[in-house]
Amino acid sequence: MTDRPEHDPQPDAQADPGAPERFERYVDALLAGGRPSPDDIAGRDEAEMARLAAEMSAAVDPDAGPDPAFLEQLRARMRDADRGIAAAREPLPLRPATGGDRGVIRLSRRQLLQGGLIGAAGIAAGALGASVLRPTEPGRDPIWSDGTALISGEGEWVQVASTGDLPEGSALRFSTAAFDGYVVNDAGEIRALSSVCTHMGCTLRWRSGWKDFRCPCHGASFDLKGQLANGRSRWRQTGGYANDERAYPIELPDLIRPAVKVDGERILVWTAKQA
Amino acid sequence: MADDNPRPADQPGRFEEIYDEHVVPIYRFIHARVGNRPDAEDLTAQVFMRAVEQLDTTREPGQIASWLYRVSQNAIADYWRAFYRLPVIGTEQVAPGWEPAEPNAARERPSDGEPSTARVKSLLARLPERYRIVLELRFLQRLSVAETAQRMGVSHGNAKILQYRALRRAALLGDADD
Repeated sequence: MTDRPEHDPQPDAQADPGAPERFERYVDALLAGGRPSPDDIAGRDEAEMARLAAEMSAAVDPDAGPDPAFLEQLRARMRDADRGIAAAREPLPLRPATGGDRGVIRLSRRQLLQGGLIGAAGIAAGALGASVLRPTEPGRDPIWSDGTALISGEGEWVQVASTGDLPEGSALRFSTAAFDGYVVNDAGEIRALSSVCTHMGCTLRWRSGWKDFRCPCHGASFDLKGQLANGRSRWRQTGGYANDERAYPIELPDLIRPAVKVDGERILVWTAKQA
Repeated sequence: MADDNPRPADQPGRFEEIYDEHVVPIYRFIHARVGNRPDAEDLTAQVFMRAVEQLDTTREPGQIASWLYRVSQNAIADYWRAFYRLPVIGTEQVAPGWEPAEPNAARERPSDGEPSTARVKSLLARLPERYRIVLELRFLQRLSVAETAQRMGVSHGNAKILQYRALRRAALLGDADD
């Protein structure tokens, strides 16, 4: 460790008399088996203290092994994600089309994963519908070079709502054969968002009061643009979020945004055809 | 067309073997460093999600293990970075350059929490008696602040101050080790 500031040889608490009390909140959460918050930690020295407290707590925790239910759940996620990737690569090798008459798309592992590959059915199709499969414009190279796998797929525009049902600041749930999501009206701009949380894949719920999509599993909130709304960086800018007690502890990727178009009254989303 | 997929030739199912072999030691490795279950589960899931995405499963077993531990270490460092952000005092410049405090390779790969246990014991042994006692009561015996105060014959508030100072002293000792 380098570049430490000089330490006051006198202890601490004179500088901040509330420090022991505040720090105790960290220790308390830690020893109770909860998720301690960095908000109770002020300064580098306290961060070192918190790390030591965490190590001490773990060192004697008789219960330090992983929860079998957690291991099973994570295994299922891993298996699905791994198979989804394998399935998406099945039709290899496809030659890049030159006429642009067929939707041949490169799909990266990241895109697949962000599509929320949960559940056995329609894994590849779900990921396609969620983000990647878009209509190929005639005359243009249909190969997208930002991915890693070639797959063929067919999609279609599906009506999921009508503009009359979607006033500004509202969201409507929709479900297609390939995936589930919401269409939102963000100050006149219509957008489609996946309802799969980019953390652990839980299904987000719309909260009209806060105009956000809330994850029931760990409390992530996404705004109408599909971006994490209660993460630390945003929290620092706004000084808080909704009636949350603390910021969401990690940053998360944006929600998948399927292609959407408005045709008269009809709101359509591009989705994979069911196999 | 160049294939930049880091997993060019893996067999389906191979990943699950890797998961089965490594998930428990990785979880313990992380738990020993963040000290609580919810965060340890989150970070473990992050590591394996990244592994599905990026890990070349055709590598040597030893390389796979070191890849997993390296990613875990980064995840743990990122986790603690959040704690090193200094909202009040404004020494924010400390955080970006901050590295995990255990560069010692011998401590990198415990198969369980043992190396941390040894470190904790050695730190405790070097503390003044009252500092050692307050930490033992709180962290080893897991007594509440009230119980700790009662055992030590001090007020509730003083027990918290004692705990704070003891941790601070121990953290400085630990720092001197690195």
